[in-house]
Amino acid sequence: MDSPAGTAQSIIELDGVRKCFGRQVVLDDVTIAFPQNATTAIIGPSGAGKSVLLKHLVGLLYADEGRVSVFGTDMASASTRQLYGIRRRFGMLFQDGALFDSLTVGENVAFPLEHHMPQLSEEERWVKVAEKLGWVGLPGFEKRSISSLSGGQRKRVGLARAIIMEPEVVLFDEPNSGLDPLTSDSIDQLILDMKDRLGITFIIISHDIIGTIKVADYIGMLYEGRLVEYAPTKNFIQSHIPVVRSFLRRNIFGPRDSLNQRKQQAPEQS
Amino acid sequence: MADFVRASWNRPPPTGQVMAEAYRIGVKSLPVLLIIAVFVGTNLSLQGYNAFKPLGGQYMVGLFVSMAGVREMAPVIAAAMIAAKAGTEMATQIAVMRIREQIDALEVMAVDPLWFLVTPRLLGIALVLPALTIISIFATLLSAYLVAVWQLGLNGAQFLSFAREGLAPMDLLYCVIKGLCFGIVIAVVGCFFGFKAGRGPEGVGRATNGAVVTMSVVVVFLNYFLSELFYG
Ligand SMILES: Nc1ncnc2c1ncn2[C@@H]1O[C@H](COP(=O)(O)OP(=O)(O)O)[C@@H](O)[C@H]1O
Ligand SMILES: [Mg+2]
Repeated sequence: MDSPAGTAQSIIELDGVRKCFGRQVVLDDVTIAFPQNATTAIIGPSGAGKSVLLKHLVGLLYADEGRVSVFGTDMASASTRQLYGIRRRFGMLFQDGALFDSLTVGENVAFPLEHHMPQLSEEERWVKVAEKLGWVGLPGFEKRSISSLSGGQRKRVGLARAIIMEPEVVLFDEPNSGLDPLTSDSIDQLILDMKDRLGITFIIISHDIIGTIKVADYIGMLYEGRLVEYAPTKNFIQSHIPVVRSFLRRNIFGPRDSLNQRKQQAPEQS
Repeated sequence: MADFVRASWNRPPPTGQVMAEAYRIGVKSLPVLLIIAVFVGTNLSLQGYNAFKPLGGQYMVGLFVSMAGVREMAPVIAAAMIAAKAGTEMATQIAVMRIREQIDALEVMAVDPLWFLVTPRLLGIALVLPALTIISIFATLLSAYLVAVWQLGLNGAQFLSFAREGLAPMDLLYCVIKGLCFGIVIAVVGCFFGFKAGRGPEGVGRATNGAVVTMSVVVVFLNYFLSELFYG
C-alpha cells in the first residue's frame, strides 16, 4: 500500500515492517508512507500495535524485518548522532504527557530549550514558553505544579513541550484517551488549531474514530498487527473492508461502547 | 555501558544535580545510619567484653571494636543503609519514569537518559558514601567507648590506645575505597534495574526488589574480595 496522497511527498516511510516481542507478532508486514505537511491518523483497537508503530518512527523501537526510513535516513543504520539529529526534528505528545513531576509546568515546557538552545537567555526562554502555553490554552500556567493539573491539561502541557523546538513532525499517542467527552472534543479542537497555525506533519494514533475523522486528512487502520486500510479520510469512512466497517459502526453508532472503552482506560491513568 | 561511559565523557556532568543528589542521599540517610552505627558500637563493646573476659583480656576490647567494627562492619553497614534507602529510591524513581514514558520522552527530546539520570546519581553517591562510612566509623567507636568506660568500667585511655592499633590511617583509606566501590555498585545496579523495569506498576515493585537484593549480594561479595586484597 502506498501513500494515498498521490503526489504529496512523504518524509517517513515504513516498508514491510515486522516487529515481534518474543513469540507475539505485533506488527506484521506494515508498509505505509506518511505524507508531508498533512495529518495522518492510525486507528485501531487497543493492543493493535499503534504505539509500537509510533515508536519505530523515532528509534525507540527497531523493526525485526523491513525498513523504516525517516527524512531519507534508514533508521536501522543511523548512527547515534544521526538519530539524535532526526529526533530533534520531532515533537511527541505521550499518552499521559510524560511530564517530569519534579519540575513546574514552565520548566517542563522549557526543558528541550535548556538542553538544545543554551545560548538563549532566561528571558528569551520564558517568552517562548509563555507563547506556547498561550497556544495550548494554558496562559500563565508556568508556575503550576504538574500534580495540580487535570488529565486534559497535562496533554496540553505535553503538546506545548512537543512544539517548543519548532519540530517538522509532531507525533500524538492517543491524544483523547482517558478524557471525558467534552475535554476530548476540546483536545481535537486544539489539534485543529495547531494544524492551521503550524502547517506541519502530524501523525496521530487513536482508538477514537470520531475525533480522528474531524482532524485527519488520511486514516489508516491497524488490526492485529496489519494495516488493513489506508486512505484519505472521506474514502476511509466509506471503506468496504469488513473490520473497518465494524470498527466504524461500533465507534460511531455505539456511543455506549466507546464510553465503556473510556471507562476501562480511566484507571490506567492514575 | 560503553555508550554510557562515552556519553558521560563527552559532556560534563550537571554539577548542580550531582551536588543535589549527594546532599539528598547524605542528609536523608544520615540519621538512620547514625542510629545503626551507634548501636553496633554498643554491642561490639558488650560482646567483645564477654568474649575476652574469660581469657582475662577485656582490656583489649578497643582492638576488637576497631578491627571488627571499622575494617569490616562500617563500610558494609553504611553501604547496606544506602542501598536500602538511596539505592531502592533510585530503582523506583527510574522505573516509574520508565513506565510513565518519561525516559522515552527524554530520548525523543534528544537528551541522553543515561547522562541525565544516571551520571548525577552515580557521582552523587560516589561522593557521599565514603564520607558516610567515615562518619559511621566514628559513631561506632564513640558509642563503643562510652559503653566500655561507663557501663563496663574499662580504662578509657587503654581502650583508645588499643583502638588506635586496629585503626591505622591506611585502614581509613581502605574504608574510603570500599565506600567508593560500593557506591558505584549501588548506583549502577539501582539505575540498571530501574531502566529495565517491566511494564505496569508490578514492574516498579519488581525493579526495586531485584535492585536491593542484587546490590546487597554484590556488596558483600565485593567486600570479601577487597578485604582479601587489602589485608590478605
Ligand atoms: N516493550 C514491549 N514489550 C513487550 N510487549 C510489548 C511492548 N510494547 C508493546 N507490547 C505489546 O504489543 C502489543 C501492542 O501494543 P501497543 O502498540 O501498545 O498497542 P496499542 O495499539 O494499544 O497502542 C500489546 O499486546 C503489548 O502488550
Ligand atoms: Mg497505545
